[in-house]
Amino acid sequence: MINHDKRVLAVGVFAAGLISSVSFASATEYPLSIENCGTVLQFDAAPDRVVSLGQSTTEILYSLGLADKVKGTGVWFGPVMDEFKDVNASVPRLADNDPGFETVVAQKPQLVATQYQWHVGPKGTVGTTEQFNELSIPVYTAPADCVGKDNAGGGDGVRHEGFTMDLIYREISDLAQIFDAEDRGDALIASLKERQESSLARVTASGHDNVSAVFWFSSPEINSDPYVAGKNGAAGYIAGKLGVRNIIDSNEEWPTVGWETIARANPDIIVIGKMGRRRFPADDWQVKMDFLKTDPVASQMKAVRNGNIVVMDAQSMDPTIRLINGIETLAEAVERLSASN
Amino acid sequence: MSLELRNVGWNAGFKKIISDVSLRVTRGEFLGVIGPNGSGKTSMMSVLGGIRAPSTGQALLGDQPMKKIGRRNLARHIGFVEQQADTIDRITVRDAVALGRTPYLSLLTPWSGHDDAIVCEALASVEMGPFADRMWHTLSGGEKQRVHIARALTQQPDFLLLDEPTNHLDIHHQLGLLELVRALPVTVVAALHDLNHAAMFCDRIAMMDGGKLIALGTPEQILTSQNLRDVFGVAADIEIDDQGRCHIRYHAGSQKTGPIKKDRVA
Amino acid sequence: MFETSPVQQPVQPPRQSLAGRAYLVRAGVSLGALILLVGVIAMAAAKGETHIPLGTVLQTIANHLWQAGYDVDPIDAGIIWNYRISRAMVAAACGASLALSGAVLQALLRNSLADPYLLGISAGASTGAVSVAILGFGAGMVSLSLGAFVGALVAFGFVALLAIPAGRGAGAIILAGVAGSQLFNALTSFIVTKAATADEARGVMFWLLGNLSGVRWPDVYLALPVAVIGLLGCLWYSRALDAFTFGVESAASLGVPVRRVYVVLIAIAASMTAVMVSIVGAIGFVGLVIPHAARFFVGTRHGFLLPASALIGAVFLVAADIVSRIILDGQVLPIGVITALIGAPAFAIILCHGRVLR
Repeated sequence: MINHDKRVLAVGVFAAGLISSVSFASATEYPLSIENCGTVLQFDAAPDRVVSLGQSTTEILYSLGLADKVKGTGVWFGPVMDEFKDVNASVPRLADNDPGFETVVAQKPQLVATQYQWHVGPKGTVGTTEQFNELSIPVYTAPADCVGKDNAGGGDGVRHEGFTMDLIYREISDLAQIFDAEDRGDALIASLKERQESSLARVTASGHDNVSAVFWFSSPEINSDPYVAGKNGAAGYIAGKLGVRNIIDSNEEWPTVGWETIARANPDIIVIGKMGRRRFPADDWQVKMDFLKTDPVASQMKAVRNGNIVVMDAQSMDPTIRLINGIETLAEAVERLSASN
Repeated sequence: MSLELRNVGWNAGFKKIISDVSLRVTRGEFLGVIGPNGSGKTSMMSVLGGIRAPSTGQALLGDQPMKKIGRRNLARHIGFVEQQADTIDRITVRDAVALGRTPYLSLLTPWSGHDDAIVCEALASVEMGPFADRMWHTLSGGEKQRVHIARALTQQPDFLLLDEPTNHLDIHHQLGLLELVRALPVTVVAALHDLNHAAMFCDRIAMMDGGKLIALGTPEQILTSQNLRDVFGVAADIEIDDQGRCHIRYHAGSQKTGPIKKDRVA
Repeated sequence: MFETSPVQQPVQPPRQSLAGRAYLVRAGVSLGALILLVGVIAMAAAKGETHIPLGTVLQTIANHLWQAGYDVDPIDAGIIWNYRISRAMVAAACGASLALSGAVLQALLRNSLADPYLLGISAGASTGAVSVAILGFGAGMVSLSLGAFVGALVAFGFVALLAIPAGRGAGAIILAGVAGSQLFNALTSFIVTKAATADEARGVMFWLLGNLSGVRWPDVYLALPVAVIGLLGCLWYSRALDAFTFGVESAASLGVPVRRVYVVLIAIAASMTAVMVSIVGAIGFVGLVIPHAARFFVGTRHGFLLPASALIGAVFLVAADIVSRIILDGQVLPIGVITALIGAPAFAIILCHGRVLR
C-alpha cells in the first residue's frame, strides 16, 4: 500500500514539475539582465551571432539546437560528440586552441561564450573581458570556471568550493534563457539529471563500501609525477557523488602528485584519461596503461593487479557537459568491482 | 743545435704580418730583436718559438722542420716567456715554476725528486729561492717576470725566447733581469724595445720593420744614426766607447725631421 | 752592479710536493667525500614524500644486495629500490658531471664564472623540450628527454660554428656561447607564449627547472657510465689543464696540443652536460659553484681538483634532492630551486673570503 502511494506521489510530482516547467518555459522577456560571474549581462534580444570558446560550451549550444547561431568556435580538446558531427562541420572553426582577438571580433559576434577565464577573462589569452566590452560584446563565462574558483594564479586554478553539476545546469539554463530556448534547456537538464540518478541507483544497489580511486589525466614525461584530479574538481565530484573516495586531497584542479604517494595510498580503481591530444607521450591512454603494467612500483598496486583500470574520456573528468558520461562509466566500474568481490 | 727561420711569412687572415724572414740563431749568443711597434717582432718570435706555424717558409730546430718535431719535443728545447702572462689562480711560486716540467711528465713518468731538484735550481738561478712558497699574486711585476723565466728554465731548454721581458719593470729590475739572463748558460733571443739595452747586452741585433727583417748584425753595425732615423723616426748620435760598446744619444725636440714611418704596411 | 734580494741563500731542501701534509689533507678530503656520498645515498633511500620505516629500508637493501630474503611489502620495496635509490644514483652522477664540466670549462676558458651551460646546452635543451611538448614535434612518440637532448646538441653545434669565425680563444667561445644561449632561450619563450596551453606550459617549465621524479634504473645505466667515462677522460688531461694556468700561449709553449685539448675536453663537457640535462632538466649552480668549493678544499691542481669536484658535486646534488622532497609536506620542489637557494649564498661566502682569486 505504501509503495502504491509513493508511486502516485511520484507521478503527481512529476506531472506538476512538467506542467510548471512548461509554464515557466515561456518566451524569455527582453531586455534581459542575467547575472554571470559577478557581473550583469544585458540583452535586448536573443543574439543571432555567438562565438563559442570552449568545447563544452559549444556542445551545450549544439545540444540546445543553437548550432545555426554559432559563427565561430575555438578551444577544442578532442573530436566533437558524435551526434553533432554534421552540424559542427558547417560551423567555422577559428582555431583548435585559442584564436586571436581580431579573429574572434571579425565574426561580429553579439556574444562571446567562454568555458575558461584563462582564455577570456581578467587576463585572457584571447582577450580581456574589457576589450570585448569596449566593442559592446558581452562575455558569458561558464559558471564552472568562476564560482568558488580562484584563477588568479593562472593555469588550471584552485577550486575552493567543490564543483557540482549544478554549475553545468546553470550554464545550460543561462544560455537557454539568453537565446530564448528555455524549453529545450529544461528538457536537457532533466535528461542529464535522470541519467545521474540512475547511475547512483546502480551503485547503491551493488552494495559497495569504501571504494577508493585516483584519476590520472596525463604526465609530462611518462615516468614523472602525473597530473591527477584534486578533490574539488569535476572528477572529485564524480567520485563524491558515487560515494567513491578520491585519494588525492589537494584543492588544485590537476595537481602533480608523486607515484610514491599514489602507490602507498593503493586505490581500488585507477581512472585513466583518454584524449585526442598528443603532446606528451602519456596523453595516449595505451601508454598510460602500459606504464601501469610495467613500472616496478605501479604494477604492484591492487588496482593494476586486479585489472580495475577504467579508461574514461578525459573531457568527462573536466567540468563539461560530458561529465554525466563520466558518472556512468565510473558507476559501471564500481558495479564490476563489487561483483567480483 | 740551431734555431732557424727560412723565408718565413705569417698571415693573419689576408693580412701579411711578416714576410720573407730568414734568420739563424747561433749557439750561445744573445740575439736582440728590435723594431718599431707593428714591425712584426712578436709574430716573428712566436714562429721562432714554435708557438705558431708559419704560413709560408719553414721554421727549423736543429735543421729539422718544427712541424716534424712535435710540440712536446719542441718544449724540451725552447722556452718561451711571453710579454705579459698572469693568472688569478691561487698558486705558489713553486707551483708556477713546476709547470715548466710539463713536457717531461706523463702517466708513466710522474713527478719525482729529480723534478723537485730542477725546480729549486731554476728558482736559485733567478734568485727567487726564498720566494718559493709565496703566493703568486703577492709578487711584484719584476718578481713575476723572474718566476716566468725560472719556469722556462725548468724546461731545460737550449733556447730561451723572451718577448719584451722588461716592458713593465722599473729600471733597476730591467737591468737586473737582462744581466741575469745574459749570465745563463742558454742561447737567448729577446725582443727589446729599449735600444740602449739592446746595445748593452746583445751580441747580435735583428732589426725588423714593416714585417720584414731588414738588417742583422752586431750592435755597431745596426745601431747607426741612419737606421735610427729611417726605421724608428728619431734623431740620435751614436757614441762608441773604448770597449767598443755603443751608446745612443737621442736628440730631444728634433723629431719633426725625417720621413714619418707608418705603423704597418698592409 | 745591482742588488739581489736577500743575500744568496743556499738552495732550500726540496719539499716533496707529492708526500707531506698537503697531500694527506687532499687525499683525506676526497676519501671523506666518498664516504659522505655513500651515506647520503643511503639517506636518500630512507627519506621521501611518504614515510617508510628505516627497518624496511635496510631490509630492502639487504634483499637486493645479498638476497637476504626478508619479507617486505612489494610496494615499499619497489619505492625504495626502483624509485629512491635509482634517483639518488642519477642525482650523484648528474652532480658529478656538472661539477666536472664546470671545473674543466673554468680552466680552459680562464674564467671563474664559466659553467657548462655557457655552451648553449641548457638553452638548447629547453627549446628541444618545448618543441616536443608544445609544438608537438614527434607527434607524441618522442619524449621530452629525447627532444631536450637533440636541442642541446643543435645549440652546441650552433655555438661551435659561431665560435670559429669569431676568432679562436676563450673570449670567442664565451661570446658565442652567450649569443647562442640568448637565441635559443628566446626561441623557447616564443614557442611558449605563442602556442602553449596552461598544462603544457606548466609541464614543460617544471621539467626544465630540474626534475628527478621520472628517474628509474635504465636512466642510471646511462648516467653513471657517462659520468665515470667523463671523469676518466678529463683526468687524462689534468696536467694539460694545469698548463693553461698562464693562458693559451703559455700552454702551447709548454708542449700542450692546445687545439686538440680544447676540442676533446669541450666535447666531453658538452656531451656529459647534454646527457644529464636530457635526463633531469637544467639544474643550475652546480657547475658554477662546486669547482670553487672544491678549490677551497684541495687547491687548484687538476689531478686533485677534478675528482674532488665530481665527488662534492655528487654529494651536493643528492642532498639537494633529499631537501627538495622533504622541505614541503606532500609536495616536491623543483631541485633547481634548492641548488640556487644554497648555491647563491655559498658563492657569496666564497667570494667574501677573498677566494675570488681561484
